[in-house]
Amino acid sequence: MSYVLAKSKDSAIHEAGECGGAVTSIFKYLLDEGIVDGVIALRPGDDIYDGIPTLITDSEDLISTAGSYHCAPTMIGDIIQKYFIDKKVAFTVKPCDIRSVDELIKRHKIDPDNIYTIGLNCGGTVSPVTGRKMIELFYDVNPDDVVSEEIDKGQFIIELADGTEKGVKIHELEHEGFGRRTNCQRCDVKIPRKANIACGNWGSEDGWTFIEINDEKGQELISGAKSAGLIETKNPSEQAIEARLKVEGIMIKMAKKVQAAKFGDAGNMDAWNRCIGCYACRDICPICWCYKNCELNKSYFKDENNIPPSPIAFQGVRLSHMSFSCCDCGQCDDVCPMDIPVSLIFDKLQKKYCERTGYVAGVSDDIKPPLYSPEKTEL
Amino acid sequence: MFEIKHTLCPSCSVGCGINVILDSEEIVGTFPYKRHPINEGKNCSNGRSSIDIFEEKLAFDSKVLDDAIGKLKSCSNEKVTVIFSGSCSNEDLEAIKSLCESKGFNILAYDNDLRNFDSVASYDEVENASTLFVIGNILYENPLIGRRIVRAKENGAKVFVNDDLENSPTANIADEFTSVSVKEFLDANDINEDSIIVFNKVDSFEDLDLIESAGSKILPVYSKSNSKGALSLVEAASKEDVLELLKNTDVLLVFNDDVVNDINFDFKSISQIIAFSPSKNDTTELASFVIPVKSWLEYDGSFTNAEGLTQEFKAAFESDNMSVVDVIEKINGELE
Repeated sequence: MSYVLAKSKDSAIHEAGECGGAVTSIFKYLLDEGIVDGVIALRPGDDIYDGIPTLITDSEDLISTAGSYHCAPTMIGDIIQKYFIDKKVAFTVKPCDIRSVDELIKRHKIDPDNIYTIGLNCGGTVSPVTGRKMIELFYDVNPDDVVSEEIDKGQFIIELADGTEKGVKIHELEHEGFGRRTNCQRCDVKIPRKANIACGNWGSEDGWTFIEINDEKGQELISGAKSAGLIETKNPSEQAIEARLKVEGIMIKMAKKVQAAKFGDAGNMDAWNRCIGCYACRDICPICWCYKNCELNKSYFKDENNIPPSPIAFQGVRLSHMSFSCCDCGQCDDVCPMDIPVSLIFDKLQKKYCERTGYVAGVSDDIKPPLYSPEKTEL
Repeated sequence: MFEIKHTLCPSCSVGCGINVILDSEEIVGTFPYKRHPINEGKNCSNGRSSIDIFEEKLAFDSKVLDDAIGKLKSCSNEKVTVIFSGSCSNEDLEAIKSLCESKGFNILAYDNDLRNFDSVASYDEVENASTLFVIGNILYENPLIGRRIVRAKENGAKVFVNDDLENSPTANIADEFTSVSVKEFLDANDINEDSIIVFNKVDSFEDLDLIESAGSKILPVYSKSNSKGALSLVEAASKEDVLELLKNTDVLLVFNDDVVNDINFDFKSISQIIAFSPSKNDTTELASFVIPVKSWLEYDGSFTNAEGLTQEFKAAFESDNMSVVDVIEKINGELE
């Protein structure tokens, strides 16, 4: 593992990127050199609150994906395993994305030789509709006037077209039921160290991206992009490295505090009474890869006359199948039509499994998935 | 080429957004449309499986359309009935209405004994209501309005539910649950202007007048994506009137609907059914002529949802099929 500061040598990319455009330029290197067939990154759809995973095959189009979208809580693991299993692709990953990718690699659903993963440090994401309401209420700004947003120094900061910035403390927003998604508030993995490189602005200088190089492939990306004249690099100072670690530490501490406050609610959830058995939580889960072969599709579990389903028969089966691999991406919460905070109990169980075995889903270096390792079968 | 595109859910009248995933111009999946203000990326199983119609696609044969038009020419116009379906877009419906009016065909608008109301409660009003009277299993059948009821309840609203099912997600969130007639439910409760009645079914067409005169705001939730649009263009028929009209029909034109599945009637008694549909269903199985038309993913149009919001959708991909508007233009030309 090593650190480097990098920025794009292309002025347009440098301008469009959130912190120096290094990520976009590394993608350009991969496409221009023919190392990958395509790059998958977010581009704005309706507006900046609408990040859409987009396949880019021509590096000229990469500029449309530059910048960060904190109001676009997407999940890439599922997309890669379903639609890009036999293609060489590069893509950005938040910590929960790479954790899901790692779990899918362990299940032989993604070939690690086919992918390049560019990690993005993540302090959390905001649901787009919540984000817009929050900006109206707490910033007194029309959300359509916002040109970019970022999470920095404990604040959610918006930038308007005239360059002015407004920030509100995250904990104030969250106290009022806004701010980051609840799973993000609990998340204690902030730097995606299983990605080839992990990028962000924590500890960096203005206009530079702070990059943690996590493996050989990551080193090749930096060296290759530099040799191709697409990025310039320099070493970060010791203070910068420390500052970055400090930000990470503070965020993890905040997350642990939320975990302690919220995990108690998981055992007492009346919300299951309104479950409509639509399977949206299962279908969106990046770890649930069985699809039509899912045990829950078997006739002995099908009971369409009994809605809501028994939580033990429905979520109990899911919990026993994959909670130890839950990466707390919160997609199940996002898609539940009944607003059931599904991820709370899955995340809680993963943490319990971790307490017993030391296994952190998508982070630990095990080659096999949990329960396939004899020493980790005990829940 | 992998692409994700925005569209609307066609499966009921709530008006949810949904993303579809295309791979090499073929629909291969759905993806949450989290930016959509109505459902924020949440879709029920009907919505997510709406793309399954592409597993049962129909092949176009121009001779079938010519034969169907020939049948129409030979039939007395007052014996022709056209289903005015909430599954069609507003643009389709305008064309269908114009065809019926110009040719003197009967027009039949029906949705589960519901009709249009000019003034309805918005979803935000439901979410912020202090008292809700719910008729039907809304949480299960229209979950993304059900979610607004759940939110209202979490905000402190009192929720009264009247439905057949005692053990259902809707019944489970009720402060008070009954299983009586709509009339008895309305009579038994103190309904006033601060409350909202949300309903997706009634016992009879007459109940609608009772609901309207109850003194509260109301939100009827229809079974089809554009029923509100359809019923605002053509007055809804009661179940009895529907059956009477079908009895007197020789040729039934069905645009983008599965009327055989929706209405309990002996459709075999109608001598000719001409079905215009993007995919196979019970109506196409029974029809004498089946003409494939574009699905909502293959043309631009709009749906008006239960709260009266008209939302546009764009074609997600190109197709060779004719649209309903194209078909009607051809029928109009041939019947000149």
